[in-house]
Amino acid sequence: MAVFKGNDVHVVAPDVAISFFKGIMPFNTLDAETLRWLACHCRIDFFPKGTRLLTADTTELSYLYLIQRGGVKAFLEDDNGEVTLKDFRGEGASIGALAIIRGTAANLNIETVEDTFCFLLPREIFLDLIAKQPAFTHYYLKSFSEKIVTTAYSELRHHKVARRSNDDLYLFSIRVGDLVKTLRKVAANVTIQEAAILMSEHRVGCLLVHDPSDEEKIVGILTDRDLRGKVVAAGLDYNQPVATIMNSPVQTVLSQSLCFDVLLKMMATGIHHLAVERGGRVVGVITSHDIMLLQGHSPYYLFREIRAEQQIVGLYPLAQKIPEVIRGLIGEGAKAGNITQMIAILNDHILGRMLTLLEKEMGVPPVPYCWLLLGSEGRREQTFKTDQDNAIIYADPVDEAQKQAAETYFAAFAAKAIDHLVNCGYPLCPGEIMAINPLWCQPLSVWTHYFDHWIAAPEPQELLNSIIFFDFRAGFGEAILAEELRAHLNREIVGMDLFLFHLARQCMETRVPLSFFKNFIVEKDGEHKNRLDIKRQGLTPFVDFARVLALKFGVKETNTLARLKALMEGEQIQGELWSAASEAYELQMQQRLVHQLRQIEAGILPDNHIDPADLSDLERRMLKDAFAVIERLYGVLERMYPVM
Amino acid sequence: MVNLFKPNTWFSPPHPLIIQNREAFAGFDQSRPLTEYTFVVCDTELTGFDRKRDEIISIGAVLIRDLQIDLGATFHQYIRPRSLRHTEATLIHRITPEQLAGAPPLEEVLPDFIEFSGNGLMVGHFVELDMGFLNIAARKLMGGTLANPAIDTIRMARRYRQILLGPFREEDDHSVSYVLEDLAREYNLPMFKPHDALEDAIQTAYLFLFLLKKFRKGGLLTLKDIYQAGRVGSLRY
Repeated sequence: MAVFKGNDVHVVAPDVAISFFKGIMPFNTLDAETLRWLACHCRIDFFPKGTRLLTADTTELSYLYLIQRGGVKAFLEDDNGEVTLKDFRGEGASIGALAIIRGTAANLNIETVEDTFCFLLPREIFLDLIAKQPAFTHYYLKSFSEKIVTTAYSELRHHKVARRSNDDLYLFSIRVGDLVKTLRKVAANVTIQEAAILMSEHRVGCLLVHDPSDEEKIVGILTDRDLRGKVVAAGLDYNQPVATIMNSPVQTVLSQSLCFDVLLKMMATGIHHLAVERGGRVVGVITSHDIMLLQGHSPYYLFREIRAEQQIVGLYPLAQKIPEVIRGLIGEGAKAGNITQMIAILNDHILGRMLTLLEKEMGVPPVPYCWLLLGSEGRREQTFKTDQDNAIIYADPVDEAQKQAAETYFAAFAAKAIDHLVNCGYPLCPGEIMAINPLWCQPLSVWTHYFDHWIAAPEPQELLNSIIFFDFRAGFGEAILAEELRAHLNREIVGMDLFLFHLARQCMETRVPLSFFKNFIVEKDGEHKNRLDIKRQGLTPFVDFARVLALKFGVKETNTLARLKALMEGEQIQGELWSAASEAYELQMQQRLVHQLRQIEAGILPDNHIDPADLSDLERRMLKDAFAVIERLYGVLERMYPVM
Repeated sequence: MVNLFKPNTWFSPPHPLIIQNREAFAGFDQSRPLTEYTFVVCDTELTGFDRKRDEIISIGAVLIRDLQIDLGATFHQYIRPRSLRHTEATLIHRITPEQLAGAPPLEEVLPDFIEFSGNGLMVGHFVELDMGFLNIAARKLMGGTLANPAIDTIRMARRYRQILLGPFREEDDHSVSYVLEDLAREYNLPMFKPHDALEDAIQTAYLFLFLLKKFRKGGLLTLKDIYQAGRVGSLRY
């Protein structure tokens, strides 16, 4: 223990200060020596309950306040004395950071709501940390900086999803560039036979086809399957040039793409050979087989099993495997956006396979149809098993007989399909928005009429009930029917401002929580709640916002992240708002996924209610930032659709 | 008693620091606002409570300036006692005889501590005990006692409780604990590990700051107000 020597030589850094700093972000990133130094430059102050600490636009800050015990509220007061609550802050939170960084007076009024002890860190020291410690800049200046987001994800993964075994992280760590083998290619004017000989010599299942005059210009791809299906089976002359049977153009992926993304692309498109591009040049081919060789049990195996299943009842157990696959993906570090896409693809394949087998059983439908997916399924955002929301749209019958035939067929078809889906583990929709309901099993002309009605005379209650229909997409069958309906809707909605106004207003009705305080969610009116409904309060505002703008600007996408991206690309929202909104939305989806996964594993029915006590500081911080983003989205809607 | 007859301890002029200390408090003004005083919140660890036999084995202290605990101004020192035999108290403090054997004697530590304390007012939890032991040592080793006025946080806490209960409530003072740890828990203060002189001093500093600001909120703005309202300490020990 050092000895006190003279007035300003400091002796011991009290443990109390060091352990306090170690417990709060971003101070916990500092090394021991810096912490000791900080501890010796701190003061501790006490503010009884009801003390005004800072006054907006007036108080100049000489310290950063860090709450050790107690809590404060932040609020603004306008000229008429009207008070707007802005935040509640509890232990570990800071006060005055932004004002110090910006060199301005306090931007909020701060008052203690409990007896409060604060550590006071001199302003110069704080500014020095901001200048020298990247973690501080990230923490205080960027609400969704990459570093914090990454930390949040890894925290979610490591602390909340227990690993079962040492699964390889290959899907998310290996890039396709590392997998490609030597590139084999032939000119497009080479005969089919010559190409087949080359394939046999090199023992490869596919060849890239290049322009005869330019080796670098890849024009197509030739696979074993083409030789089998288009040549041998069809009895084609194999002295024809390969150009006649090749697949063109070639689908490409970038060599730095993660295997996971490539797998998603293969599963979504059904194309199993993709050219790998590096620096604008095709450097090889990646096949589903290459990726499969890397893995044991995984999404791709399940996908294959579904596709190969010959019995509808055989699909039941396969559908039940989906949560296990999803768990693996979360454990491997997949982000919510990827995971929900994967869930959508697997569910789509279950549906597609089931309906294909059902058609075989019931005979060819009298008219072409499309199985529509609505709501979260329509947006490709369902998490674990969610209610069925579906419908059938079929081509308009040409006469009464065909109309009768269609009604009879699709009624029976839908009844069986819904039954099978229940057996697969997709519960019935309590609102009966399902193809089994005659209202929602209709020809195209009726569907266009429905939408015309919804957008022309919006009754608030009716609007609320019809919202999920606006997120429809084709699940199986003749996608063109769904596309026609979408095109019709986008045409008709132009100028329907009253409808969009109501939609926007309805979106803004969801109150955004303000903050966390101890183990409560604080609402804007100061009310405390002990549960956060992460779906209703956290995710729905983003979904609603994206829907309003997508409809307004004729964006065809239904997925919220895809809608936001399209809106950004169309310059209907700012790039900065887009990235903040996407990060905030996806991180909350992740939070929800992890929450539900934990419930499923604990044998509890999954829900959307998160207990603030279960959240880490970082999670609270991220959620709080997400609430702020929602406020900004509401601001956009407010300007677009002001109340007169 | 033998020392009384030793001229060099009894009759020699006091240590310069003691003279300086006396001068500093000669015209002590109690009427200034609380923010203008420096407080030295201190805690001593003892081998026992017998003023004749027992000794100080550790001093911890922290300054309060501008009514803020200044973590950059702390004092913590172990002291080698004349006798190193095990006592019950050393078990409580978890200070080992080895730690004490390597520490400097009080002759060296006390002047440092007096210098550290400067013009500050002493604050302690049952400060009478700490001041008693410090003054015995100061008189013996430095030829005079400390002139720093002192404030006792136990008395402050008792007064605070009386104020909270109001004038018409009969206080049952025996049923409540004034142990530092218990008070800290009762007022929901951050907790420290007990029986370490510095940690105890900081714990006391939190308690003192809490009570002082509660009093201040109630309109007691000068040191004099505090003394008069609560008989919270003494100008002389």
